[in-house]
Amino acid sequence: MSAHEEGNKRSLSDKPKWWDTFPWWGIAIVAILSWMGYQIVTNNSYELAWDRVIPGISITVTATLQAFAIALALGLLAGMGQLSKNVILRNLARTYVEFIRGIPILPLIFTVALVLIPQLQNALGFKLSFQMRATVTLAFIYGAYMAEIFRGGIQSIAIGQVEAGRSLGLSRRQTMNSIVLPQAMRAIIPPLGNDFIAILKDTSLLSVLGVLEITQRARQFSASTFKFREGYFVLAFIYLILTLGLSLLLGVLERRMTRDDRDVRSNRGID
Amino acid sequence: MISIKNLSKTFNKNIHAVKNVDLEIAEGEVVVIVGPSGSGKSTVLRCINRLEVPTEGSIAIDGVELTDPECDIDSIRAEVGMVFQQFNLFPHLTVMENICLAQRKVRGRSKSEANEMAMKQLTRVGIPDKADSYPRQLSGGQQQRVAIARSLAMEPKIMLFDEPTSALDPEMVKEVLDVMLELASEGMTMAVVTHEMGFAKAAGDRLVFMDEGMVVEIGPPSQVFENPNEQRTKNFFDKILY
Repeated sequence: MSAHEEGNKRSLSDKPKWWDTFPWWGIAIVAILSWMGYQIVTNNSYELAWDRVIPGISITVTATLQAFAIALALGLLAGMGQLSKNVILRNLARTYVEFIRGIPILPLIFTVALVLIPQLQNALGFKLSFQMRATVTLAFIYGAYMAEIFRGGIQSIAIGQVEAGRSLGLSRRQTMNSIVLPQAMRAIIPPLGNDFIAILKDTSLLSVLGVLEITQRARQFSASTFKFREGYFVLAFIYLILTLGLSLLLGVLERRMTRDDRDVRSNRGID
Repeated sequence: MISIKNLSKTFNKNIHAVKNVDLEIAEGEVVVIVGPSGSGKSTVLRCINRLEVPTEGSIAIDGVELTDPECDIDSIRAEVGMVFQQFNLFPHLTVMENICLAQRKVRGRSKSEANEMAMKQLTRVGIPDKADSYPRQLSGGQQQRVAIARSLAMEPKIMLFDEPTSALDPEMVKEVLDVMLELASEGMTMAVVTHEMGFAKAAGDRLVFMDEGMVVEIGPPSQVFENPNEQRTKNFFDKILY
């Protein structure tokens, strides 16, 4: 740095100070979690709440995984459907997406789980538990969100890629599977990860149907012991551990999937 | 080999990109199509492998009618190589994978057959050492040569070139034109849309001048350049030849 620049307090520099880029938020979160964990381990009432709430975690996790898997399939189907050449498929997919996206999650869960599915059950003669009904509803809701993610990802691929594939003699399907989808995954994976975490949080809505996942257990504990602070404190702690862990995991996956993304983007600038 | 009759293409009901074009391309012939931008030359080329569906008229390749909805367009396209202005290499695949994908899926070749053919074509375009590179690691000229190799690996009967050097830096134009010139001298049937008049003179058997969607003049390149029959052709060359 020259003497002239040194004299200038607000000199321009492309090298940020260490405290400017340091992940303070990580320290803050670790500190908060440690403090919460410390409370739970040392305080009797918190431990009591923990023991009552934690058995629900298997339902929370199972419902998340099931809903995500079903939503993924539905989303891919509806996303591709919206881009289909078939006018019926296209409109079916569009109707599904627009309909679901226009209604909040809570009323949808009530409607599907308490009205639609019981009627289907009567008509077709099968039986679903409340947990399954709510999981299926969540899957249908997130399927519609994911359809938009898939559609956007596929449409982000330059038309020249499709033309190159087709002019080599590849069929529509081969072009989609070998050329478009692998490239679209770069754009699709990050928002899908967000939805994964959102589903995990929204499994708390299963509680409105009395499913004994962690939120419902925390409600029951609080209501029966009047230890509201302890119950919901523990509940928040468990959700935080789950979501932060998941987002760390997804971050690693994302980085692996999009390692050379920047190079590819700059290369595609001319497309 | 290619027979275009009364071809018209209209976009959005009122933009007439191509109007009543007739063109025959014989086996082994190199036809160069030139004309101002928006004259419909690229559209004609893209109709030949049905990337654009003709509004009217007919195109036959080896007697097979492209406009017949029953025709198997994928198998026709496998015989018609296409090289694009923007290269359109697959960025997620290596050069080798770019060249082998259609060979394996469309031609049904084994991995070793496809690899062998890919190396043969890469050697032909002069960059066998780039087989394991990704497209982004190559220069524009190298990318376009890979695109040519990718088409040639399908052993097409016809090659279409849609302004293959227009997106290249000037110093890379020649390496691509050299490959095309060699291909022409080997007897490949080619239709080339380009602004490279030097290439048209050196490799073209016939020059097609198009303007406003119509074929204005067809003839041997030297005659059309130096002694055009139409005033419009003369005006165009006066503007571009320096």
